[in-house]
Amino acid sequence: MANETNTPDIEDVTRTHVPGDPADDSIQQVRSSTPDHAVKDVSQRRRRRISRTILWVILAAISAAMVLPFLWMFFTAVRSQDELGQPNPPFFPRSWHFENFGRAIDAAPFHIYARNSFIIGIVNVFTTLLFGASAGYALAKLRFKAAPWIFGWFLATMMIPFYATVIPSFLLVRFMPLFGGNDIFGQGGQGWIDSWWALLVPGMVGAFSIFLLRQFYVTTPTELIEAARIDGLSEPRIWLEIMTPLVKPGLLTVGLLSFEGGWNNFLWPLLVTRDESLRVIQVGLSVFRQESNTQWDLLMAGTTLSALPMIVLFIIFQRYFVNGFVNSGIK
Amino acid sequence: MWGWLLTLPALIHTLIWVGAPVVVAIFMSFTDYDVVNPPEFNGGANYTELMGDQVFWRALWHNLIMVTFGVPISMFIALVLAVALNQALRGQSWFRTMIFMPHVTATVAIAMIWLWIYAPGTPGLANRILSFVGLGPFNWLTSTDLALPAVILVTIWQGIGIKMLIYLAALQGVSHELYEAAEVDGANTIQKFFQITVPLLRPATFFVLVTSIIGNFQTFDLIFNLTNGGPANATTVITYQIYVAAFQQFRMGYATAMSVILLLVLLVLTLLSRKIVGGTDGE
Repeated sequence: MANETNTPDIEDVTRTHVPGDPADDSIQQVRSSTPDHAVKDVSQRRRRRISRTILWVILAAISAAMVLPFLWMFFTAVRSQDELGQPNPPFFPRSWHFENFGRAIDAAPFHIYARNSFIIGIVNVFTTLLFGASAGYALAKLRFKAAPWIFGWFLATMMIPFYATVIPSFLLVRFMPLFGGNDIFGQGGQGWIDSWWALLVPGMVGAFSIFLLRQFYVTTPTELIEAARIDGLSEPRIWLEIMTPLVKPGLLTVGLLSFEGGWNNFLWPLLVTRDESLRVIQVGLSVFRQESNTQWDLLMAGTTLSALPMIVLFIIFQRYFVNGFVNSGIK
Repeated sequence: MWGWLLTLPALIHTLIWVGAPVVVAIFMSFTDYDVVNPPEFNGGANYTELMGDQVFWRALWHNLIMVTFGVPISMFIALVLAVALNQALRGQSWFRTMIFMPHVTATVAIAMIWLWIYAPGTPGLANRILSFVGLGPFNWLTSTDLALPAVILVTIWQGIGIKMLIYLAALQGVSHELYEAAEVDGANTIQKFFQITVPLLRPATFFVLVTSIIGNFQTFDLIFNLTNGGPANATTVITYQIYVAAFQQFRMGYATAMSVILLLVLLVLTLLSRKIVGGTDGE
C-alpha cells in the first residue's frame, strides 16, 4: 500500500492490529515468501511438508472441537421429536425440522425478546458513537486544560468492575425521582424499573468506547483541523464533517462492540425488568429454560436465535471485531 | 469551550453510573439496608460477618481454583494455536473464526449449550462421547466433585479464542529474522518455540494472564445459568454471592461489602498490569 505521507491513513493503522482478518493478505505474503538464501535439499522440504500436514490436521481437529458445541446446538434445534426420544440419536439429524423454531416462538415469544434486544443494541450503538466520538475527538485533538484529567477519569472508570456498581445503580433506577410513580424523593413508585429508561440509559456510553475512539482520532492529521479553522469552519463541523469520516473503521469497531454488549447483556436487564413485554433475549432464554426444563429441541432453538446474530455479524465484520477485542483484552 | 462541551455528556454519564455508585457502595458497605427501611450505620459489622462467612470463603476459593486451573490451560492451548496459525496454512482464517466463535456468543447461550452437553444419562453429548471409551455416565452438574471441573472446562473452551488473538497480535511484532538465524544455527521447531517465541511473548503473556484473571473473577452469567452456584454451593463464586445477598436476600449492605472486596482485588490486579504493560494504555 502506498504511504508517501508520513501520516499513514487509518485503514493502514488498523490493519497492522488485525490478526483475525481473512482479507488481510499482507500477513500471508510475508509468511509464504520463503527466504531465498535458505537452500534446502529435497528431504528437508519433504519433512517440512509432512510436518505442515500434521499441523493442519491438528488445527482442523481443535477447530472442529471448538465448533462442535454449536453444531450440537443447531442439530438439536432442528431434530425430529422421534429422534429426540431415541436413547442414541445420530449426530447428524436425518430430517431437518425448521418448524421447531416456530414451535419455540409459540412456547415463548422469542421474537419479542429478540426485538427488545435489537432495540437496545441499536440505541447503544447510536448513543455510544455520538457521545464516545465527541469525547474521544475532544480528548485526542482539542488541547484544553482539563483534558488529561478527564482522560484519566475515563481510564479510572474502566478499571471498576460492573459488580462493584450494580447495587447502587439498581437503587438509583429503583428510586429515580419523578418516574414510575415516584415523588421528588424517589419514594412511592417503582422508578425506572420495568421501563425502557432502565434498559437504555445506563448503557448509553462507556469509557472503553471513548478510549478506543480517541486512539483512532489520535492517528488523524491535525493539519486538517488547522486548515479547516483557517477556512472558517465551526468546531462541531470540523469534528463531524472533516475528522469523523477519517475514523470510520473505529466507528464500525465501537459500533459492533456496543451492539454486542447490548445483545449479550444479561444481569442488568434481569434486574431491572419483570414485565415480559420488556424482556430481552438472554433473560428470555434463561427464564424459558427454568420453565421448560426437558424440551431440549425448543431450548436449543431459542439458544440458536440468541447466538446466531452475533456469530453472523462476527463472520461478516471479523476484522473490526478483532481489532476491538485485542484492544480490550478479556471481556 | 468546545473541549468541555464535547466531553460533557460522557463525563456526566460516567459520574452518574460509575463514579457515584462506587462511592455509594463504599458507604453502603458500612450499613444495614433492606431497601424497605432506611439504611442503618452498623460500623464494620458486614466485614466482620464476611470474615466468618463460610460460603463467601468457598466462593473466593472457587474463583481461585478457576483461575489456577482454567487460565493456564487455556493460555497454553491459545499460545500453541497462535504459533500454529501464524504461518501460511490453507483455511487459516476459518480456523481463527471457528476458535473465536465462543467469545462473541452470549454467555447465557453458551451456558444453555453446555447444559445440554452435560445432560445426565446418554442424551448428554459428554456422556455419549465418553461411553465410546467405556467411561460414565457421569452426573456432571449435579455431583459436588464434578460440577466445578465441568464449569472450568467451559471457561477454558470459551477463553481460548481471545487469548489466541492477543498472542497472534503479539506475534506480528516478532521479527522473522530471529527464526531464520536460529534455523541457520540448526535449531528445531521445539527449540525455536521455547528459546525465541516464549521469551519474546512474555509481555503479551503477562497481559493475557492478568486480564484473564480479572475476567475470571467476574464470571456470573455462566454460573447463574449452568449451576446456580450449586450443588450445595460447589460452584458458587463471589459475583454470584453478591447477587444472592443483594437480590434474593435483600441484604444490600452485606452485598456491597462483598462487592467492595471484589473491587479491591481487581483494582490491585489492574494497577499491576497497567504498571507492567505500561505503553499499550494511555500513551
